[in-house]
Amino acid sequence: MTRMPAPIVSPTPAAPAPDGPDKITVKGLEFYYGDFHALTDVTVPIKSTAVTAFIGPSGCGKSTFIRCFNRMNDLIPGTRLEGKVTLDGQDIYAPGVDPVDLRRRVGMIFQQPNPFPMSIYDNVAFGPRLHGITKKSELDDLVRDSLDRANLWKEVKDILGRGGLTLSGGQQQRLCIARVLAVQPEVLLMDEPCSAIDPTSVQKIEDLMAVLKESITIIIVTHNMQQAARVSDFTAFFLQEVAGEAAVLVEYDRTTNVFTSPRDKRTEDYITGRFG
Amino acid sequence: MREAFRRELKDLKKRVLAIARDVTDMTREAVTSLVEGDIDRAEKVILRDDDLDRRCLGIEEHTLEVIATQGPVARDLRLLYSLTYMALHLERMADLSVNIAKAAKRTASRRGPQTLYDLIQAQGNLVYRVLDAMAEAFEKSDLELARKLEELDEPIDHLYKQFFRELARLQDEEDIEWASSMVLASRYLERIADNAVDIGERIAYLVTGDFDVIHDMTEED
Repeated sequence: MTRMPAPIVSPTPAAPAPDGPDKITVKGLEFYYGDFHALTDVTVPIKSTAVTAFIGPSGCGKSTFIRCFNRMNDLIPGTRLEGKVTLDGQDIYAPGVDPVDLRRRVGMIFQQPNPFPMSIYDNVAFGPRLHGITKKSELDDLVRDSLDRANLWKEVKDILGRGGLTLSGGQQQRLCIARVLAVQPEVLLMDEPCSAIDPTSVQKIEDLMAVLKESITIIIVTHNMQQAARVSDFTAFFLQEVAGEAAVLVEYDRTTNVFTSPRDKRTEDYITGRFG
Repeated sequence: MREAFRRELKDLKKRVLAIARDVTDMTREAVTSLVEGDIDRAEKVILRDDDLDRRCLGIEEHTLEVIATQGPVARDLRLLYSLTYMALHLERMADLSVNIAKAAKRTASRRGPQTLYDLIQAQGNLVYRVLDAMAEAFEKSDLELARKLEELDEPIDHLYKQFFRELARLQDEEDIEWASSMVLASRYLERIADNAVDIGERIAYLVTGDFDVIHDMTEED
């Protein structure tokens, strides 16, 4: 099929339906911080066991959007969400949904590594203990397995009793990933996970994502477009066109398409550095 | 930073365009030297090749540096890819024009039947048309013109075949070396135009961002 050149200005294009099932679907999402309308008319699928990257200039709502998937915005007073967000077909904003259980299924990694002020072992065992696992051997296995999956085991296996905060920034971030993996999430949200760590650690986390995505659905917010291009299978580009107005999803497509032949001129201009 | 990058892209495009124009000129001069039996002219074409090779290599090197340092995407990436592709093919096209000039040197000592010179000249005229259209399509990002190159190339292939038929009519006393040099020259011209058509396909990709354009155009071959 021959695709036409990108139009000069286009409305939010309908997201294509690439192969693979949807883990999360978002339909007609509107998001408000009090009177401020932050996001409008966002409809997008998040493909299962793939990496989806959200890109866009600062203030385009991508962090707001990613926090809709585990209801982190509920913790901010005055926020309001309209539209529908489903996880495996279930509305996550329906009455009766337990946000704590949701956040176990949909784990999150933040820009600044935030280990608890406790030992490496206890950091990882924290979640499983909270969910009722007390047997030492079971916890040992979970801690080892989680650290191993987070690509950290070899570096910390002999210092598990040491404080998590004594590790380097990159190690702390992987410890946080291990802590999330210990409760066996289905989705991993990563909000700028590499912007505060050194390049070698960035590489380790990117390698880790490539392995984890075989079993977990990953969504990453990143300012680093090269990183989005490297790690993700799908890319969504958000843009607040007019200051003070709600941001929109401009384009969603396979990452290879977005970075070689974006359909929308606004995407093209942003990723080639013509604005933003 | 981005401004400097834009300037670099613009400069690279300008340099490739200049190479394309020089290849057209070398082809024109080579054909003229062949048709007129002008050895001096042929020599000048041959001498231009080193400089052209150096410039093409310079494009490859520079595009690699830009890719490594600027992380280009979308239309910038497509442009850099197309520039590399064009540099490589233009360098080959220049080599083919040099081959024609060498054929001119080999055949200058005797004069063959006028029909064959007329045919080579006619074929050359058609090739210049393809080369000019290629350069213009690239300069103006003209999709329609890029797609037209293939159509412009068709009569060149026909003339090459006709050249063969005319050659078969030659009398026994014709010099076999002379005849084979002429037929090779006709073949080189045909190859130059084919390379231009390939470049036209990349120009179409550069403009549309749709790689299927190349598949479609190649299937039509």
